[in-house]
Amino acid sequence: MTSIAATATSGWRRTLRDPGLSATILILWAFLALFILFPLAKLLARTFFEDGQITLANLAAILRDANHRQAFWNSLLLAALVGISGTVLGFLYAFTAVRANLSRAWTTILDAASLLPLISPPFTTAIAMIFSFGPRGLITYRLLGIKGFTVYGLHTTLFSETLTYFPIAYLTLKPILAAIDPNVEDMAFSLGSSRWRVFRTVTLPLAVPGLANAFLLLFAASLADFATPLILAGNSFPVLPTQAYLQITGLFDLKGGAVLSFVLLVPALVVYLLQRYWVSRRYYVTITGKAGAQTAIKSLAPWARAPLLGLCLLVAGVTLYFYALLFYASIVVALGANHAWTWHHYQVVFTEGLKAIHDTLIIAGAGMPLGGLYGILLGYLVAKKAFPGRQTMEIISMVNYSLPGTIVGIAYLIAFNDPPLVLTGTALIIVACYVFRYSPTGIRATVALLQQIDPSIEEASQGLGAGSGTTFRRITLPLVLPAFFAGLGVVFIRSMTAISATIFLVSINWTLITVRILENMTELSLGPAAAFSVLVVLIVFVVIVAISGLLRRFRAAGAVEVTSILGG
Amino acid sequence: MSAAGIRVDGVSKRFAHRVKGEVYAVRDVSLTVQPAELLTLLGPSGCGKTTTLRMIAGFEQPDAGRIFIGEQDVTGFMANQRNIGFVFQNYALFPHLSVFENVAYGLRVKRQPEAEVARAVGEVLALVGLQGYDRQFPNQLSGGEQQRVALARAIVIRPRVLLFDEPLSNLDAKLRVHMRDELRDLQKRLSITAVYVTHDQEEAMAISDRIAVMHQGAIVQEGTAEDLYRRPASEFVAQFIGRTNLLTGRVLSADPGGVELEVAGQRLHLAGETARVTVGETVRLVVRPEGIELAPGGSATGIPGMIVSRTFLGEKAEYQVRMGKDVLQVTSYNPVQRGIFPPGQAVMLHFPSHGIQLLLGSTA
Ligand SMILES: Nc1ncnc2c1ncn2[C@@H]1O[C@H](COP(=O)(O)OP(=O)(O)O)[C@@H](O)[C@H]1O
Ligand SMILES: [Mg+2]
Repeated sequence: MTSIAATATSGWRRTLRDPGLSATILILWAFLALFILFPLAKLLARTFFEDGQITLANLAAILRDANHRQAFWNSLLLAALVGISGTVLGFLYAFTAVRANLSRAWTTILDAASLLPLISPPFTTAIAMIFSFGPRGLITYRLLGIKGFTVYGLHTTLFSETLTYFPIAYLTLKPILAAIDPNVEDMAFSLGSSRWRVFRTVTLPLAVPGLANAFLLLFAASLADFATPLILAGNSFPVLPTQAYLQITGLFDLKGGAVLSFVLLVPALVVYLLQRYWVSRRYYVTITGKAGAQTAIKSLAPWARAPLLGLCLLVAGVTLYFYALLFYASIVVALGANHAWTWHHYQVVFTEGLKAIHDTLIIAGAGMPLGGLYGILLGYLVAKKAFPGRQTMEIISMVNYSLPGTIVGIAYLIAFNDPPLVLTGTALIIVACYVFRYSPTGIRATVALLQQIDPSIEEASQGLGAGSGTTFRRITLPLVLPAFFAGLGVVFIRSMTAISATIFLVSINWTLITVRILENMTELSLGPAAAFSVLVVLIVFVVIVAISGLLRRFRAAGAVEVTSILGG
Repeated sequence: MSAAGIRVDGVSKRFAHRVKGEVYAVRDVSLTVQPAELLTLLGPSGCGKTTTLRMIAGFEQPDAGRIFIGEQDVTGFMANQRNIGFVFQNYALFPHLSVFENVAYGLRVKRQPEAEVARAVGEVLALVGLQGYDRQFPNQLSGGEQQRVALARAIVIRPRVLLFDEPLSNLDAKLRVHMRDELRDLQKRLSITAVYVTHDQEEAMAISDRIAVMHQGAIVQEGTAEDLYRRPASEFVAQFIGRTNLLTGRVLSADPGGVELEVAGQRLHLAGETARVTVGETVRLVVRPEGIELAPGGSATGIPGMIVSRTFLGEKAEYQVRMGKDVLQVTSYNPVQRGIFPPGQAVMLHFPSHGIQLLLGSTA
């Protein structure tokens, strides 16, 4: 659009004349530089500088280690497999949800089962896997009586990550499949195609960009996943994030960790660029325009419906079984050994674990408003104001979100360990990590909302005599409030559940529930781990319900809708 | 408050265009709108109407020229300092505010007491026929109702001037006709100065006191609807206002009594055209479809032609008539009485002087 280019050049002088606005922009730049660019620069410096010289020696040293090379290939293999299996599963799930004429009740069950993993700590499934298939596993040991089953390795990691991350593919593909006008399929039928042919020649090709996108998202998620491999992969199947973690916490080798996380950065960057510049370009063109007249969906043969639905219910059943198991494990003495009922694990959680709960809530509570505010401020500026470096600002604000958590965590650890800014051991470093890593959801929601708000609405306010401050306060702000809630909701949820970055940042002073869960797992005190997990899921659930309530209230008043607080 | 006029004096506005570089959206436009007058800016899409209107409103700053409202030079004033009422094409209602709060917004900005706000809003809502809609939200209203809210919101602050940017283009045809009459009525009753932008010549002719026709960023002619129809100053205006046949003729002789032309190989006498034409010059002629009379072929006078097609519309019949190389549009009123010519029939065309307008020079 020509108009955007024109406002950009003629507008920024006006923007810069406004002192409040210029100050806000400068402050945001300072934060972005300090909490995104500076840590990354330090990480790269650690990797490539030695005694003021550029060197590849550090990289070479790490890559000489066969174990590390193995970890690199393992990471790629695992990510590719998770990408494939998760995309297939997500597609089947989405196809069933959209095309099988399900009743509301079925759809709700499928949606609920796919949402649970998204709002839980990332290793919840892994813990349930241990409960089921571990040395004393409920299924392998108790039910089937298998003694020698090894729960550690590629197979279980793959299974667990697929189950955890396929909902991303489901959420990506469902709207795409739903947007394919059934009339297009009808058209193909009317030309004499068989069902299978319609699926192969119409439905599937239209979904290809979505499939590619889902694959890349899952690939990135698996590549970045730290907790699942830490619990399930075992020694025989090292991957990069766990190697980097062990390098730092086991060998106290910060430089080695930095180099390993740089190795992780390369494939992550490739995937990111592919996703941003290749797939998303192709995304919208395939979707046909407005949905035509309602037509009964015929693209799914009646005989295929039952098996598809059965498969989806099986997956949903496994997920629900895992969560039920987690709850059960939290209220019995020792799962697999002694199933007597007890409150003991919760007592542990609320005595020894109280500090972690307390710390986590403070950190999440502090990050929430900061992240929400940062999200709408930055979103508003990049969407509405013309100033030099606007696009760069938007891209930089997304960096920490796109990088694997391990990299961000190690970068923060390196950057804020020494002067000029020593933050290690404080709550601030954890809060900053969460705010700058998880606010992009709020930023995107703000930008999306503002793009739907016609500029003439603000002009209308101005024409009625309102200054820019009044207009922002009384018109713009209420309209982007849903994005604010969405943004702070995501920051809160992630602060409760994330671990890959912050495991490097916790200290004696400030610790997190997720870190305690992981410690419990390695100490084999599985009961408290389960109790902690149940607690987190409960808190997150309550917060999500509260936020959806707020969102609904503000939407009812005529504001624009934010489709999903977890999408993107 | 007595109505204030508007004076636009030599205003220009450039925009940076990705491909073409700097382009003029508005070039040296001057206008005067009398107090309580409704002036329409009429022209095809992209000719600079909206940009002109937005500069009057203060949403855009002109690169050159000055703008006066009343006696006051408001160039450089922001929109919120000009006391204007603006009705947007898409209405631009505040989606999160009720109808009442939408209309009350401008009063609240001016910090009017609550009782006064309630009174003024109630009065204006009654004026636009929206009593009882106070608590509705914009997304619960039909297009016509949204349009009324937008209008109420603009007039409740008692603006010095009312500015409309294609306010009716989102309504269906019937409602458009109805609303334009209402707008006109309201503007007259409040006797408020108004500038109205549209690309629809019929709407412009129906609603305006005067029309300024714009083309490529400039005003090419100003006048009443009748002026523009009867005496278009250029081919562009002729073709934009009403339906037109354009013919080429050569001047055979010119004297105070009239002009003698050769058109399609025939002589044509124009009485009263004392224009400054020179003998031998080629001129363009504007002939309205209803300015041509048809007679059965074989009549002694007129220019011969042949009916190509015919559309019978009851009170009139529209013909396409071949005359030489040209195909002319001819409208014949009361065809039932005057006879209908079938396609293929030979006819004679008559061009009464009062139906012809001479265009001088090579105007575009
Ligand atoms: N903000 C803008 N940036 C760049 N070009 C613009 C802008 N506004 C208008 N233009 C250009 O100026 C010309 C006139 O536009 P406009 O006044 O909107 O025309 P109209 O309202 O008569 O359709 C068009 O060519 C348009 O592309
Ligand atoms: Mg326009």
